[in-house]
Amino acid sequence: MFRSILRSAVHTVLAAACTAGFCSTGIAASAPAPTAPALRHEEMNVIVISLQCLRQDHLGTYGYQRDTSRNIDALASRSVLFENAIAQANFTPVAQMSIFTSQYARMHGMVSFEISKDTVTQRTLPEILKYYGYATAAFASSPEFFVRFDTSSGATINTADVYARSFDAFESTRRGLGPKHVRKIPDESLEWIRENKDRKFFLWIASGLLHMPYAAAVPVEEQTRYDDRSYTPFWKRLTQLPAEVAADEDPSYDVLSRVSRGDFYWGFQPVHHLSPADVQYVINRYDAGVHYTDQFIGELMRLLDSLHLTEKTLIVLHSSHGDDLGERSDFFHYDVSDGVVRDALIIRFPLGEFGGKRIAPQVQSIDIMPTVLEYLQVPVPHEAQGKSLLPLIRGDKGASGSEYAFIDRIPWWEYTLSKWYLEFQGNRGAHFAASEQARLKEYRDLLRQEFDRLDYPPGDIAVRTKEWKLVLRKNPSLLNRVSWWNFITGTAHAVDETALYDLAKDPQETMNVAAKHPEVVNRLKEKLLAWDRSMESRKTVFRKFDKRLIIPYP
Amino acid sequence: MKRLTRISIMKFALVLLALTGIGAILAGRGTAEPAKPAAMPLKFKDYNVVFVSFDALQAAHVHSLGYSRDITPTIDAMAAQGYNFTNDISVSSWTVPASMTWFTGVYPSEHKLTNKFAVYEPPVTKLSNLKELAPNIVTLAEVLKQNGYATGGFTGNAGVNGFFGFAQGFDVYFYEKGKFGSMGVSIPKALEWLAANKGKKFFLFLHGYDIHGQNVPAEGFDYRFVDKGYDKKYTGSAKEQEDLREEGLEKGQLTLRDEDVKFWRAIYDEKINRTDEKFKQFLQAFEKLGLMNKTIFVLTSDHGTEFYEHRHFDHGFSLYQDLVHVPLIIKLPGVVAGKVVTDQVSSIDVMPTILDLLDVRMPEAAKHQLRGSSLVPAFRGESVAKDVYSETDYRLYTFKRSVTTKDGWKFIYTLENKTRELYNLKSDPDETTNLVDKEPKIAYELEQKVFAHFKSIGSDLTARPWVTGLNPVYDSQAKGAKKP
Repeated sequence: MFRSILRSAVHTVLAAACTAGFCSTGIAASAPAPTAPALRHEEMNVIVISLQCLRQDHLGTYGYQRDTSRNIDALASRSVLFENAIAQANFTPVAQMSIFTSQYARMHGMVSFEISKDTVTQRTLPEILKYYGYATAAFASSPEFFVRFDTSSGATINTADVYARSFDAFESTRRGLGPKHVRKIPDESLEWIRENKDRKFFLWIASGLLHMPYAAAVPVEEQTRYDDRSYTPFWKRLTQLPAEVAADEDPSYDVLSRVSRGDFYWGFQPVHHLSPADVQYVINRYDAGVHYTDQFIGELMRLLDSLHLTEKTLIVLHSSHGDDLGERSDFFHYDVSDGVVRDALIIRFPLGEFGGKRIAPQVQSIDIMPTVLEYLQVPVPHEAQGKSLLPLIRGDKGASGSEYAFIDRIPWWEYTLSKWYLEFQGNRGAHFAASEQARLKEYRDLLRQEFDRLDYPPGDIAVRTKEWKLVLRKNPSLLNRVSWWNFITGTAHAVDETALYDLAKDPQETMNVAAKHPEVVNRLKEKLLAWDRSMESRKTVFRKFDKRLIIPYP
Repeated sequence: MKRLTRISIMKFALVLLALTGIGAILAGRGTAEPAKPAAMPLKFKDYNVVFVSFDALQAAHVHSLGYSRDITPTIDAMAAQGYNFTNDISVSSWTVPASMTWFTGVYPSEHKLTNKFAVYEPPVTKLSNLKELAPNIVTLAEVLKQNGYATGGFTGNAGVNGFFGFAQGFDVYFYEKGKFGSMGVSIPKALEWLAANKGKKFFLFLHGYDIHGQNVPAEGFDYRFVDKGYDKKYTGSAKEQEDLREEGLEKGQLTLRDEDVKFWRAIYDEKINRTDEKFKQFLQAFEKLGLMNKTIFVLTSDHGTEFYEHRHFDHGFSLYQDLVHVPLIIKLPGVVAGKVVTDQVSSIDVMPTILDLLDVRMPEAAKHQLRGSSLVPAFRGESVAKDVYSETDYRLYTFKRSVTTKDGWKFIYTLENKTRELYNLKSDPDETTNLVDKEPKIAYELEQKVFAHFKSIGSDLTARPWVTGLNPVYDSQAKGAKKP
């Protein structure tokens, strides 16, 4: 904006000089040739705010009743809001790479947590913007984006990895060990904005705060804002649990990964059935995280306003993916329910253009990058598999969303467990019942043995339409063999090879209606398998490593 | 070794203009043209066309395109009377795909004659054929025949073998079986046909491999341009050149002594010189038919050939200028032009230009077929400069696509390994410095342009994997190729 003002000022001065008779050919020859209006990528900043585990239905602007998100709601009122934006995967590094490359998981290759930067080589959005002179910076508090640990030495591997390589500056926000120091608000980004306000920039703010342990990094008065003061977390009431587990008030992975079908398991026994109050406590803490995050968004927007950057910045706020909060069988983002894959997506265009629009048709997260590039007047890379949403936003005739959204559930969570988690947990015996400890090694060996045979991480696939979701398990017998739930419950629950959910009647996807609607299954299966074949024929080469590079989960 | 550059072409063009006494170079135009609007109708309805392909003639070895050795006097003389397009870029770097584009006006990806074999999975092999691969494509010879032309093709076989579909639309199509045939054979056949058809309007395609690595002069080499002191490590045989080609493909690059490279260029020059002489004899015989002022001449080549510029021998496997920059001379009857057109054009423009000159239209069913555009506006002094695209899937050894912009940027994308190359032809005409990292924005935008172009012609480069192999070509078996 500033540059175009300067340019027109120069033109005005030159025109005046010519009128006054000072216009020698020499001056005319050295005057800048009249140019077309500046392209947006010549002056527009971009901020992408990625909120890991953000449930869209826990924001006021998406209809949540609790007052969790005043600032995001205010931002949304001046933005375009997508009601049905679908993530391409259920895990953070996989789903986010789809956003930055506009490719499905098997195309971009980020299909495992311990992958090296040499395997994921696709061009990313910030990389492309670097070509156009953008200063690129990232502040990430999701460990999935910034740390790799060497399991033998415990040392942090270089940060120049898959995500970091796209940025000039890649700042992690880790302050120390433990969840309170890692999954925090990446508020160092504000200082960066102040220091770089005069540059043209692409800034990525990735917050892992919403990830479990819920609200662990939130200051205590904020953390407890929705708590029922008379309630004591159920795990603190269970006498079987060792003090180490019972001491923690935060709803942590250690606790919640033991909840299956509403029961809490210890020593392979359902020792407690979660009451509505138990579930509500978890949700309260989750919401406290949303509220705290929202305050940061407010602070960010006020800063942009005060620096006069709001109207020359394209702002994208989105969930990397959501989380299951006990509605189905479990907590976490183990599977591909709508709680996990239906994202918040809010795009604020400079000058509030298209502000207040709500887009109902289904879109995919791979569409974000083409949208940003088209808006910036930068060509969309040929490898992009998404499409620009601008036609839909403008309301162009014939513009449509994605009738079919495709989801890779890759890698299986158990595959990730085999790579680091159980090894890590092996040193934390106190977190397991004695009977479990005895079988833990066996389970770990089983996972290793099964997965070491594979030359590609195992995955499942799903397709979603406005009305239906179809999930296909690609190797159900193996999944049953290695299932974490089967291990922790000590019961062999068989997973459905084919599951169909009626999203209108059963939005929480608790009833598999595949047998009732064979024609729908066949129609969707055909689409899904065609997509799957096209991915398989072109998928990236996956290289196994001698060294296991892991991400520590605090 | 002295290499031709665009700058030297420009200089040569200016000298030529000065010599022929034509002034008034229009500033900012690639085409120099005296102002005489409407003087030329530039329609030559019912005129004859003689279309000559000097197979494998690199633009940089043509004297009237700036080459130091005066080895092409006949071609140069025709350039001096006609329009000399000094920046004609072929759509491909080897005979089959490049030549089929002249006759179809579509890119190789569309006519699909991108390899000798449509199927090569021994024992199952199937030669490529236009009717089978692209049944709806209409050829230049077919269109002219429909418009009453006698059509005759007289060629050296191999890459323009009738079987591929080159014969489509020709009354007579001659190719010397089992050979990389010479104009020494195709010219007498052509003259015989001309004598029998001179009363009709005709389209003649004349072609020979005399300059090509797989042809040696019937009368042997006299080594006229070889340094006297050369130690004769090589003799200039077809076998030696084939071995060098295969070695380059196998090892990725060759290592040759300077004197050997010099020797091979001298051999090349002798072949060019001998071919020019044969063409001179053809013209002398043609003149005796008394058809000169009723005939349009188009002289060109399908591709160049490499002599170690990028450490390879022969052609097909890359898209560097040494392989895709070719001569194009168009001489109009009754018009002494002597114009140099420096605008960058493509071999895909040849068919629309011929049809435009002859005032012949494409049949209704194929009216949207042609991808190129007529170069006739250049004869009127208008700009015809354009961005041009080339491609090669040579023997499945590699899959390359390129764009060369009219302002001198060249971007090459290798599909099987996603290698990207960017060259500034103005400052680096030899394509030695890859600027992909230095000019990431230009490289990025041109890459998108290449992919968008091929998508727009129905060849989505992202839709399939690109798996290399090494198929045999013509009658020779490549090393490492599966034997049928």
